[in-house]
Amino acid sequence: MTAARIFGEPIPRREDPRLVSGAGRYTDDIDATALAVAFVRSPSAHASIVDIDVSGALDVPGLHAVYTYEDLTGRLAEPLPLLIPHPALTAPRTAYPLARDVVRHVGEPVVMVVAADRYAAEDACDRIEVTYRALPPVVGLAAAVRAEHAVHADVPDNVAAHLVQEVGDAPAAIAAALYRLRLDLTIERSASMPLEGRGVHARWDEVDRSLRVYSSTQTSTSLRFALAAKLELPVDRVEVVTPDVGGGFGVKIVHPWPEELLVPWAAIRLGRPVTWIEDRREHFVSSAHERGQAHEVEVGFDGEGRILGLSVRFQHDNGAYTPYGIIVPVITSTQLLGPYKPGAYRVEFTSLYTNTVQVTPYRGAGRPQGVFVMERTLDAIADHCGLSRVDVRERNFITPDEMPYDHHMTFQDGRPLVYDSGDYPALLAKLKKLVDWDAFPALREQARARGRRVGIGLACYVEGTGVGPYEGAHVRVETSGAVVVSTGLTTQGQGHETVFAQIAAQELGVSLEDVTVVTGDTRRFAYAVGTFASRAAVMSGNAVALAARKVRGKALRIAADALEADPGDLDISAGVVRVKGSPGAEIPLRTVAVLANPLRYAFDAEAQRATQFAVGGGTDTPPVAEDDEPGLEATDYYSPIRSTFASGMHAAVVETDPDTAEITILRYAVVHDCGTLINPRIVEGQIHGGVAQGVGGALYERIEYDEHGQLVNASFMDFLMPYASEVPHIETDHQQTPSPLNPLGIKGAGEAGVIPVAAALASAIEDAEGLTGTGVRITDMPIGPARLWELRARWADEDSGRDGR
Amino acid sequence: MKLTGEAMLRGGVPAVYQALHDPAVLVATIPGCERLERVGPDEYHLVVSAGVGAIRGSYAGQVRLTDTGAPHAFLLSASGTGVPGTVAADVAVRLADGPDGTTTLTYDADADVGGMIGGVGQRMLAGVARRTAQEFFTAVDAVLTGTPAPAAPAAAGGNPDGATPTVYTRASTVAGTNGLPAGFLAGALAGAGIALAGALVGGWLSGRRHGRRGR
Amino acid sequence: MTEPLHEVRLRVNGTPHQVRVPARRLLSDCLRHDLGLTGTHVGCEHGVCGACTVLLDGAPVRSCLLFAVGVDGQEVTTVEGCRAPGGGLGPVQQAFVDCHGLQCGFCTPGFVTTITAYLRANPDPDAAAARAAIGGNLCRCTGYQNIVASVLRAAEILRAGNQVRP
Repeated sequence: MTAARIFGEPIPRREDPRLVSGAGRYTDDIDATALAVAFVRSPSAHASIVDIDVSGALDVPGLHAVYTYEDLTGRLAEPLPLLIPHPALTAPRTAYPLARDVVRHVGEPVVMVVAADRYAAEDACDRIEVTYRALPPVVGLAAAVRAEHAVHADVPDNVAAHLVQEVGDAPAAIAAALYRLRLDLTIERSASMPLEGRGVHARWDEVDRSLRVYSSTQTSTSLRFALAAKLELPVDRVEVVTPDVGGGFGVKIVHPWPEELLVPWAAIRLGRPVTWIEDRREHFVSSAHERGQAHEVEVGFDGEGRILGLSVRFQHDNGAYTPYGIIVPVITSTQLLGPYKPGAYRVEFTSLYTNTVQVTPYRGAGRPQGVFVMERTLDAIADHCGLSRVDVRERNFITPDEMPYDHHMTFQDGRPLVYDSGDYPALLAKLKKLVDWDAFPALREQARARGRRVGIGLACYVEGTGVGPYEGAHVRVETSGAVVVSTGLTTQGQGHETVFAQIAAQELGVSLEDVTVVTGDTRRFAYAVGTFASRAAVMSGNAVALAARKVRGKALRIAADALEADPGDLDISAGVVRVKGSPGAEIPLRTVAVLANPLRYAFDAEAQRATQFAVGGGTDTPPVAEDDEPGLEATDYYSPIRSTFASGMHAAVVETDPDTAEITILRYAVVHDCGTLINPRIVEGQIHGGVAQGVGGALYERIEYDEHGQLVNASFMDFLMPYASEVPHIETDHQQTPSPLNPLGIKGAGEAGVIPVAAALASAIEDAEGLTGTGVRITDMPIGPARLWELRARWADEDSGRDGR
Repeated sequence: MKLTGEAMLRGGVPAVYQALHDPAVLVATIPGCERLERVGPDEYHLVVSAGVGAIRGSYAGQVRLTDTGAPHAFLLSASGTGVPGTVAADVAVRLADGPDGTTTLTYDADADVGGMIGGVGQRMLAGVARRTAQEFFTAVDAVLTGTPAPAAPAAAGGNPDGATPTVYTRASTVAGTNGLPAGFLAGALAGAGIALAGALVGGWLSGRRHGRRGR
Repeated sequence: MTEPLHEVRLRVNGTPHQVRVPARRLLSDCLRHDLGLTGTHVGCEHGVCGACTVLLDGAPVRSCLLFAVGVDGQEVTTVEGCRAPGGGLGPVQQAFVDCHGLQCGFCTPGFVTTITAYLRANPDPDAAAARAAIGGNLCRCTGYQNIVASVLRAAEILRAGNQVRP
C-alpha cells in the first residue's frame, strides 16, 4: 500500500475532541427528565429482615414507587445468574436483586425507590424504616476459616470452592531439594474505583414494545441476554447501548447488577424512562472489590537458585456472593508461574465467603497476587543463595527456543496453558539498560554514605491475554465513501474508536478520517463477549482486520470487473481503487459501493455516476450471485485457539526516609511486550494507568472492614487513590514478539501496567532498608509509612545486632 | 392485595351504620371525593381526586353497599377507573359495640389493582391505602361527634320533584371533614374500599395496563 | 411539603441564566440537569476527586460542594466554556488531544478548568510545577504522566498566541 502508514502510528485519538470539550455522553447525561432511583441498602453486614415500613416515605413529594423483594415476579425473583460456573466451585451463591429475608453485606440493596429526582428518592429512602435482626458477621479470612458462623446457612464451612492443580510432584521435589524456604505473603483488598460509577438508563417504547437500556457496562451483548431472560422479553425486543463510560477496570464486567435489572423493570412498570446513577458510597458498598488473598509458599531450589519444586496454598476472600465464579483465584494459580519453569508446581486454593462486598476481577484479576508471590519467592531465593536477583530470574526463565511452552495446566479460558511466544532474557536485558541496573549498587552506597536509603527492585510477569471465545466486526463502505465499523465489545477509555479505525483504514486503504467506529451497541453488532482480560485489541482488532479484508477482497472483485482488470493488478489507497502502473484507470471505493448494490433506483449523484460502469454478467446470471450479497460490507469473527501471552518487567528505585519511613519512588521503568502495537501512544497510556493503580495498590489502597463488617473507609477521603504527586514519571521501552496466534500478531496490553508493581516496590523497599542477607522480608501489601515504621521497630527487636549492609 | 384494619368511631352502631350509608356524609368524608351520584338504592357513581405528594389524578368509580347483616355487617363493592389505573375491591365491614358508646369497625378488603398504580410496589400501595382509610375514618368520626355544621350539600339536580337529591358535591369551602350537617347518618361506606380505590387510583402515573396480583 | 424554590441568577460561560431551585440543589446538579451542561462530571460528591471542578469568578471550586443558591450573581466557567471563541477546542483542550492526556474522559473536564485557571496565573511552569498544579484532581486512567505533558503543551500553545476565553 502506498498510503501513509496508519497502523502502528501514535495517532491522536478521534474520540478526544468531544470528550475534552464537555460533549461526551455518559449515562447520567442522557435524559435529565427521567425518573430517578435510590436504594435503601443494608447498614448491617449480616442480618435478617424483620419488617420494612415504607409509610414514612409516602409523603415525600415526587415519590413514584417503592419496591421490595415481594414485588419481584417470575425470573426476576430468582437469584442473579452465576456467570462462570466451575467444577471446583461446589457452593456457588448469588444474591437476589432485592434482598430476600437476609442481608449479607453492608450495602446490599433492600428497597428500591423511584421518584421525580434523586433528592426526592433519597428523602424517601431516609424515611423508610427497615427492622433487622442482627446475625453474627463473618469478616476476614481467619474468621471464614474458623467457621464459627456461616455467611450462607447452607454453607456451614464458608467454603465456596477448593481447587488443586499440580504438575509433577512438588512436595517430593521440595523435600529433595538442596534448599527450602517458606514464605507467608498477603495482599489486601482493593477495588477498581473508576471515576464514573455504575449507571443505568432504561426506556420502554410502547409503540414498538421494545426496551432500550443504556448501561455503564463492559458488556452490552451479555447484559442484553440477561435482561431478555430475566424480564422474560424476546431478545430482539431488547437493546443495550453503552454510552461513553468513565472507566471500568473490571468492576463493570459483572452483570447483570441488581440495578441493571430493576431499573428497566421499573421503566416498564411505570411507563416512564428511569435512570439510576450510583453515588460514590454506593459504589464502595455495593459493587465489587478484589485482591484480598493470603498465600503460604514452600519452595525447593538448588545452589544456583533454580526452582525445583514450588508449592503454593492460598485463601481467597470472595465476599458474600460469587456471581463471577472463581476466575480470580484460578488466574492467580496459573499466572503465578510467570516467565519461569519451576520444575514441579502445586497450587491449591480455597475460596471463602465473608460478609463483605463480593469479589470480582479488578485490572490484573488475580495476576498481581500471583506475581507478588513468585517474585517475592525469587527475591528470597536470591537472598538465600547470595545471588543477584536478576541472575536468579534468568536461571529460571523459559527461553525463546522453548517456545511454545506448555505448562500442562488449564488456563482461565479452559484451554491449555501454553505460552505462544516471548523473549524474556531480551526483556530483562532491556530493563536493566533502561533503569541502569548495574550502576545502581554504587549509587546506593553513595546515598547510604549521605544517610539516605535508596533501593532498587524488579518484577517480571507473563499475562495471558486475548482470551476467547470470540469477537466479531462488521465493516461497510457507504456510497458516500464513509467506512462504518462496528464491533460488539465495549469501550471505557481504551481508544477503540481510534485503534479499530486505524486497522480498518490500513486494511482498506482509506484515510483515517473516513472511518467511524461504534462499539458496545447491540443494535449495531449483536454477537460479542465483552471488554476484559486485555482482550479487546486482540479480539476485535483481528475481527476488524478480517472483516476489512473481506470487504477489500469484494471491492477488488467488483472494481476489477468495472475496470476490466485483474484483481491482482489493483491497489487501494486514499479511498480509490487503482490499476497499478496505469494512471487514470481508477474507481473510487464509494462508487464500488454503489455497484455492489444493484438497485433499480438511483438516489444520488454517486448512483447515477455509477451507471457508466457496467458490471455483472449478462442477462443469464442473477444480479446478485448465489454466494454473494448486496453491499460493500462484510462481517467476520476472530476466535482464538488459545490465549496469547504478553510479558513485561518493571523496575523501581525507591527512597525510604530513615525517620518518617515515607516511601518515595524515584524512578519507575517498564519494559513490556504486547506483540504488534496498533497505536504506541495508546498502549503507553494503558501502561501508565496500570502502573498508577499498581502504585496505589502497593502503597495506599486498602479496603478496610472492621470486625462488624462495616466498611470504614467507604469514601475517597479514606480510601486513598494516588494523585499526580504519588505516581512517578514512568520510563517505558517496548519489545515486540508478535503473537503467532492471530493475523495481526497482537497481544493484549490493558492490564499489564498494574500486574508486577507491588512486587517490584516490595523488592525495592527491601533493598532500601538494607534487608539483603538478613532473611527479613516484606511480605504484606499495601505498605505505607506507618506500616514500614512498625516493621522497622519489629526488625530492630528481632535483630538487635543487625549488620547495616 | 388483602388489607385489614380497624377503627374506633365515636357513635353507637346504628348511628355509624347510618352515617356510612348516607351519601351526604360520604361525599364529605371520602378523601378527595368531589361528587357522588346516586344511581340506585345504596349504589353510587363517584368522582374522586386523590394522590400522594405531588402526584394527583382524578377517576370515576362505582360503589355498591350490600346488606349482609345490618347494622353489624355490610359489604362494600367498589371499582374505579382513572388515567393512572384501575381498582376493584370488595370490603367486608363489621361494626361491633365498643367501650363507652363507641363502635369498633373492622374492615377486610380484597383489592385488585391494575394499570400504572399496580406498578408502584405493594408496600407503597398498602401504605397509601391504610393512610387514606385512616383519613376517612377520622372524617367520619368528626361527623359523628358533630363538628360545626357547614352549609347543606349542594343538590345538583336530577330529581324534578325536589325530593331526595341524587347528586352530592363537596361544598367548595369544605377542605376536609368539617362542614357537614350533623345527623346525616346514612350510607355504608367503602371504608377501606372506596378510600382505597380513591387513593390508589388518583394520582399515579399514567401508563400501560399491567394486571398483576400481589405476591 | 414541597420545598420552597429560590431564584438564582448566574452567568455560565458568558450566558446569563435564571433558575428556580431548592436551597439544597448542588451547583453540579444545577449545571448538569437544570442548565443541561453535562460536561461537568460528578465522581464522588464529596469534594475529593475534582471531576466537578468549575471556575467561580475565575477560581477553581468543587461544584459538588456548593449550592446553586450560593453562587447567585456570580460567573461560572465550565469545561464547555473553555472552548475557543469560534467553537473549536481551546488551548488546554487541544493540549490534551495532542498529548493523549485523557482516556475515559470522565475526570478531564475538572482538569481542563483547573489548568485553565492555573495557566492564567502561571503561564510558564516547569514539569514539577505542572505536576503540582494538577495535584488535587484524581484520574484513574492515565497515571497523570500525559496530563502533566498536557499542562506544559497548553502553556506552549498559549505562548504561541492562542487565547484563553475569560
